[in-house]
Parts: sequence; C-alpha cells; structure tokens
Amino acid sequence: MNNIFKFSIGILSALAFAWLAFVIGARKQFGDLEPTSSFLEDNGSIPEGAELFPKQLAGIAQQGAKEYISLGCTTCHTQQVRLEDSGFDVERGWGKRPSVARDYIFHEDITIGNTRVGPDLANIGLRSYSKEWLHQHLFEPQSLISESICPPSPFLYEEKDFDTNNAIKLTEDQIDKPRFIVPSLKANRIVSYLASLKQDYELPEMSFIQQDEELIETSELSTVSVSENSDSNLSELPTWLASQIASGKEIYMKAAPGGGLCFTCHQPTGLGLPGQFPPLAGSDWVLGDKERLIKISMHGLMGEIEVNGVKYNNVMAPPGIPPGSLTDQQIADVLTYIRNDWGNSASSVSPAEVANIRSKVKDRAPMQMWTSAELKSN
Amino acid sequence: MKFTAEQIIDKSAKWVISFFIASAGLWLLAAALLAYCAAAKLTDPFFLSTFEFFTYGKVKIAQANAFVYGWGGNSIFAVSIWIIARLAQAELRGRFLLIASGIIWNVGITLGLLGILDGHMNAHEMLEMPREIWPLLFISYSVIASFIIVTHRSRSKHETIAPQWFILASLLWFPALFIIAWNGLEINPARGTLQAVLSMWFGQSLIWLWLTPFALGVAYYLIPAITGRPIDKYYLAIFGFWCIALLAPWSVVHHLEGGPVPMWIPAIGTVMSIAMIFPIAVASTNFHATAFKDIDIVWNNLPLRFVIFGTLSYTISSYIGVVFSLPAVAKLTQFSIINEFHFNQRVYGFFSMIVFGAVYHMLPRVTGKDIPVGAKSFHFWTSALGVLMLLLAYLIGGLTHGVLAQQPSLDWASSVIASIRPYFLITQIAFVILGLSQLVFVINIWKVLFPNPFQFLNNSSNDSAKNAVA
Ligand code: HEC
Ligand code: HEC
Repeated sequence: MNNIFKFSIGILSALAFAWLAFVIGARKQFGDLEPTSSFLEDNGSIPEGAELFPKQLAGIAQQGAKEYISLGCTTCHTQQVRLEDSGFDVERGWGKRPSVARDYIFHEDITIGNTRVGPDLANIGLRSYSKEWLHQHLFEPQSLISESICPPSPFLYEEKDFDTNNAIKLTEDQIDKPRFIVPSLKANRIVSYLASLKQDYELPEMSFIQQDEELIETSELSTVSVSENSDSNLSELPTWLASQIASGKEIYMKAAPGGGLCFTCHQPTGLGLPGQFPPLAGSDWVLGDKERLIKISMHGLMGEIEVNGVKYNNVMAPPGIPPGSLTDQQIADVLTYIRNDWGNSASSVSPAEVANIRSKVKDRAPMQMWTSAELKSN
Repeated sequence: MKFTAEQIIDKSAKWVISFFIASAGLWLLAAALLAYCAAAKLTDPFFLSTFEFFTYGKVKIAQANAFVYGWGGNSIFAVSIWIIARLAQAELRGRFLLIASGIIWNVGITLGLLGILDGHMNAHEMLEMPREIWPLLFISYSVIASFIIVTHRSRSKHETIAPQWFILASLLWFPALFIIAWNGLEINPARGTLQAVLSMWFGQSLIWLWLTPFALGVAYYLIPAITGRPIDKYYLAIFGFWCIALLAPWSVVHHLEGGPVPMWIPAIGTVMSIAMIFPIAVASTNFHATAFKDIDIVWNNLPLRFVIFGTLSYTISSYIGVVFSLPAVAKLTQFSIINEFHFNQRVYGFFSMIVFGAVYHMLPRVTGKDIPVGAKSFHFWTSALGVLMLLLAYLIGGLTHGVLAQQPSLDWASSVIASIRPYFLITQIAFVILGLSQLVFVINIWKVLFPNPFQFLNNSSNDSAKNAVA
C-alpha cells in the first residue's frame, strides 16, 4: 500500500478483472452476432433462400437515430422489451416478443436507455400510428394526449395557417382556424426512424409471445405520403447500402441494356404522371410488401391498380432492355433505391430475396404480367 | 513572520485550491440552474419549449455533466490537492501547470456542454460531451492527477493511511475507466448492445469508483482530524477499501436485468451488489463509531455535521440500493425514476455534502479568513432539507412509478405518469431550495477567496488566477 506503483498495479488489476469479463468476455460471446433466419434447419444452418433478420435500417432512419440521440429522447424512452419474467412489457403492447441482443446489431449507436418516463419505443413502428400522427406528436404531444409530458419540438416545424404541399394539419384546432405544420428535414428523419423501429420478426432464440387479446396491431406501413425534401445523404449510410442505392439510381435512370428505364414513366421525381403512371414516392406499394415489388420488377404489371387510394389502369411492361432481363442484383438495387429516395424510407432488398421469389415463380411465362388482384391474393 | 509547516503547505497551494474551488462553485450554480429547468419542464412541458438547444433531453444531460465533471471534477482536484499535500507534509508541486490544466479542464467542459446543447450529444452514458472534447479533458486531468501524485511521493513519512488510499485510487481509476470505455466505444467500437453494457458500466463506475472513493477518503481524513480521535476499528478500513476495488466494478450493471444482453451480465451485477454490503458496513462502522462517541461535536462543528450527513446518507441509501438490486424488486423499479434517486443520493446526499464539509474545513486554513456561521448553517439546513425532499420524492415517486408501470391495463400518460407528476413538482421545489442554498455557499466562498474582487484594477500585478476565474 505504501509504494505508489505497487498500489496502482493493485487497484488497476482489480479493475482489469471486470474489464476482462465485460469487455473481452462479452465481446467474445456476443460481439459478432450475424443476421439469421427466423427458423434454423435441424443442423443449425440457415435454410436456403430464407429471409434474414434483422435488416439494416434505411438511410434516412439511420440519420433519424442521430437526431433522436442529439435531442436526448433516450433520457425518457427505452428501446428494449424485457423478458417475460422481468416485466409486463409484452402485455402492455410494447412488442410481440422480448428484445434480444441480435436485434441491435445494425444500430450504430445503441439507444436501449434505462428510464421509462415515456413508453418503450422498441416497436413504435408496429403501433397503428400514421406518419402524420407521429409528426403531430413530435410537434406537440399535448395536442394528441393532453396529459403528456413528452417535450414538444415546435422548432422542428414551420407553422402555416394555410395548406401547402407537404403540410400536416394539426388536429386540435380543426374547427375554426386550422393550423398546418411543415416538417423540416430533421423532423422527417426522426419520424422515419420511429416508423422503422419494429421487431416484427422471429429469431431462433426468441419467438413471438402468444397473447389472449390482440393488443398489438400489425400495421401495414402508413399510406401517408411524407414530404418531398428527402436527402439521402449517401455519405452517412453504411457503404454497402450507399452503394446499393447509388447503383439502383443508375438503373432507374438508365435507358440502355442493364437499365430499367423506370424514370421514363415514373419520372425522375418518382411522382409519376397523374392518370397514367402511378407515383413511387410515398406509394403504399413501394413501401409495402417486398415480394410484390420483386414480382412487378420481374414480369411487369397490368390492369386496374389502386395506389394511395387513386386508381390507375395501364400497362407496365416487364422492365429492362430487353424486357424482363433485370438480374437479381439489379432488381435488388433498384428496389432498394425506390424505397429510399424522395422521402421514402423502408428496408433494403437483397439479391437473395429476389432469387428466392424468382425460384418460387419459375414456372411463370416470361412476359406474363401480374395484375394487382393476383398480387394481392398471394 | 514565522510560519508553521502547515501554513507553508497551505500557502503553497493557496492559489491552486482557490482556483479549483471557485470554478467548482460556478459549476455548482450552473448545474443547479439546469436542474431547476429540467424539473420545471417535467411539471410544465411548455416551459421554454420553443428553443431547440433547451429541450428537456439536452438540459437534463447537460445538468448531469456540469454536476459530475464541473462541480465534481473541480472539487475533487481542490480537496485532493489539499489533503494529499497536508498528509504528505510536502509543498505542492507544479502550481503553474496545475492552474493551466485546470483552465483547460474548465474550458473543455464549457465547450462540451455547449456542444450538447447545440446538438452534438454522444449516445454514451456520462460520455455525452462531443468526442472532440475528450482528449482535452483527458490530458488536463492527467497533468493534474500526476502532480498530485508527485506531491504525494515527496512525502516525509513512508507509511500511507486510509484517506490517501481512497483519494489516490479515485484519481487513478477515472483515467483507467475512461480509457477502457473510450477504447470500447469510440476507437474500436463494440457492436450492438455490448455498447450499452460498456456505456452503462462506465456511467455507473464513474460514480462508484471516482466520486465515491474520493468522498470516503475525505471522510476518513476529516472525521479524525476534527474529532481528534483515531478511527474506530481502523484495521477494517483496508478490507473495506479492497472490497470496493474488487466488487464495485462488477456491481454496477444490474440495471440491465431482463434486457437484451446475456443473462450472466445482470446476474453477476446483482450478486456483487449484494456483496457490497461489506464495504458499506465497514465504512459505516469506521465513521459512525468514531464520530458518535461525541455527539456534541458532530452537532456543533459545522464541517463535521456536513460530513456525517454525507456518510449517513451513504450508508442508508447504499443499503436501499442493495435492496433495489434484488431481482424481485429490480423488476419493479428498474426503469422508474428511482434511477434519479440513486444518482442524486450519490452526488448530492453523499458526495456534495462531504465536499461542502471539506471546503468549510479547508478554506479558513488556506485563506486565513472565516466564513460567517449564520451563512454556513443556513447552507446546511437548506441543503439538508432540499436533499431530503429530493430523495424522498424520487424514492416514493419511483416506487409508485415502478408499481404502476407493471399494471399493463393502466394507460401510460393518464394513469402512470399522471400519478408521479406530484413528485416531479416536489423535486422542482427541492431544486429551488437547493439552488438558493448553493447560491449562499458560492457567495460565501467567493467572498472569502476574493475579498476584494476589483483589487486588480488598482493593483494590476495581482495574481492571474483571479482573472482566469473571473
Ligand atoms: C420528459 C420525458 C420525455 C422525453 C425527453 C421524450 N418523451 Fe416521448 N413520451 C414521454 C411520455 C410521458 C409519453 C407518453 C404520453 C404520450 O404518448 O405523449 C411519450 C410518448 C412518446 C411517443 C408515443 C409513444 C406511444 O406508444 O404512444 C413517441 C413517438 C415519443 N414519445 C417520441 C419521443 C421523441 C422522438 C422524443 C425526443 C425528441 C421524446 N419522445 C422525448 C416522455 C418523454
Ligand atoms: C412503360 C412505363 C413504365 C416503366 C418503364 C416502368 N413502369 Fe412501373 N408502372 C407503370 C405503370 C403504367 C404502372 C401501373 C400499372 C397498372 O396500372 O396496372 C406501374 C406500376 C409500378 C409499381 C406499382 C405501383 C406503385 O406506384 O407503387 C411499381 C412499384 C413500379 N411500377 C416500379 C417500377 C420500376 C422499379 C421500374 C423500373 C425498373 C418501372 N416501374 C418502370 C409504368 C412503367
């Protein structure tokens, strides 16, 4: 104790024990978890072509996570559904199952938090809130839930007393003098982030917990179209995602072999042309089920279709030059791109998923276009 | 004039100590103001809500950082310098570098807090200040700690005693914790929830291995110094010391119970938290058996009254902490505002009270001027009242919060949160009382440190430290 060097060595090695366990030991045990499929083969391997979970967060959502942290939302909100015998989180409707370490492997900064003044947000994207609601809540929670102490963030919005392009109407004073808010880029990022928070898949180590009442509604992604001013700031994305989006954009805009020509009909803005070509920006199809999108990209689409409540009746020949020639990688890229530009933000599509669908429909004739009804019945 | 050895030592350290105490005082006030704002925002969410830099989350985090690094850091430097120099019977070394590093430390924290308010918050517990600031803080800290250790090594007596172990250990643990956490979170970042384990480990260890041993060391020094009695059952102190060194780094992760991490992590935390009973009992016996031999002196000597308030609060709330780490209870209170209770009892009820006592004991000796008794005792009673209100509100509020949150049928905002809002109001009042009390404290110490603040206008050759502080 009297020699400062021996003393330092003593107290620091006491610390080193804990370091060995928490840093080295824990890292060894669960530092390199990988995505996996919901169910494994008997021998523990991933079934061929199975969808892998968890997915990367979309670019805009990853930026939203940064804003979420910088505003200190973690001081009041956790993002972890506890195990069944530790609490009643699942019963409360905060998730379909407890969270596990693997759910977080793609999160750049971990926001699991440790105080719940507000509800857990691990599955906020699964609750039946529209993006509009989330914007209204972010702007002023008290306009929706009068007792709320969630802090209002009016500084993220521009207030207007008339309706403009991307404005969202505030519910409180609908009657006499309506007010509108226009979300800023930050607000859009945060809302996309919140909407993307969902542990809606099963993992080999944790399956859904059955409940008597249907407390949790699995919502399709909301159909509200969000503002235009997306900015897929590619430099902030993980490189593989950024390169997938960049190559997708090229295919979208290309009118030569290997290209998809999509822009000629859906326009570079993704807005389509009224009455003729449906929009991709904010489209409930684009943000929805991936299988349908993959099918459309392989064989095309015809007949009546409803996009965001508007009906179209036209023909989309199988994309590609020659028609129907896009490869798995190209389809994956272009779909990932249309799901993450113009304010869209949804999970990416991998070539493996495309290959999986392709093998499912391998008996279909090459030019036999899908109809909306056919896609919906599957 | 002839000086005693003590006076020479005190004189050697006078400006350095004054600098650190004066800055600590300012940080204390800044933290009190932020704490009030945060509390006010919980009772009225529209309070100053239109400013982006002042949204609840940022204010709350800035407050914790101002408190721990600003007030905690500076007062640790000031008091360790004095106690280590006194015990070493050696003059303080490196005065100029100490003040220079102190300025860097304070500038770093100021920039860090502005960074938080400006939206550059980091996601890791107690490492929320922007990345760029940390090298600055780390270097200035290392310089300060090194000179304290140099002073310690030039001591005249070879044998060391308990206050020295605790204070030196706390000085050494902080950089070690920092390096581990920084390496695992920034340089070579861990993936997934491992990050959360590490960041929680750092945040909690900071309190257990930096603030706590320091405050215990001060108590080990002041209690015998003031009462004039040796520590009762002193032979237990070394056992208590090594228990903390070995157990505390393990015991801090029980907050992850049921979370998305391997089960052994919270489980080991729980076991070790329970084992913490030993060091708590040792410290409690050492302190209270010594001090309560003579109740009168505890009652009448103000610095000692502060210290004993702190040690009692340490004992009682550490036992409460042990109870709350039992899995059956942890399940209820884990995510509730009881976390605020744990934090505030450590930093206010225990650490700050002991530092107040130490400052009141030390300042008259260092500066040769006394602080009026009335002001000191106003400070004591308002602090005691404020701390008790705060802790009770968080304790009872936290239990209510935890129990109601476990009823899945209760609506969150209108039942669970509505029933803890009265406690938020109490904490808001408590922060007003604490704020006032700390204002009196800071005015007092500033008056003693700089009796004539505008003297330098007349006499510009005066010390530069004063300008740096002003
Ligand atoms: C003072 C603590 C506090 C902070 C800080 C806070 N919230 Fe909340 N939050 C709450 C409370 C309490 C509720 C429950 C009442 C309600 O729904 O408004 C809530 C509810 C929510 C909900 C609705 C959850 C649901 O299931 O209905 C969302 C979304 C949300 N907060 C997002 C945020 C975001 C984004 C931030 C950061 C800007 C944030 N919160 C910061 C306290 C907080
Ligand atoms: C020849 C013009 C044309 C081209 C080229 C084209 N589309 Fe389409 N697309 C359409 C039409 C027309 C519809 C609506 C079909 C209907 O009414 O049945 C449509 C529908 C869609 C839909 C579903 C509805 C929606 O808006 O969400 C998606 C998704 C889609 N196209 C994606 C693409 C992609 C990706 C490409 C490029 C690889 C592409 N389209 C190329 C004309 C085209």
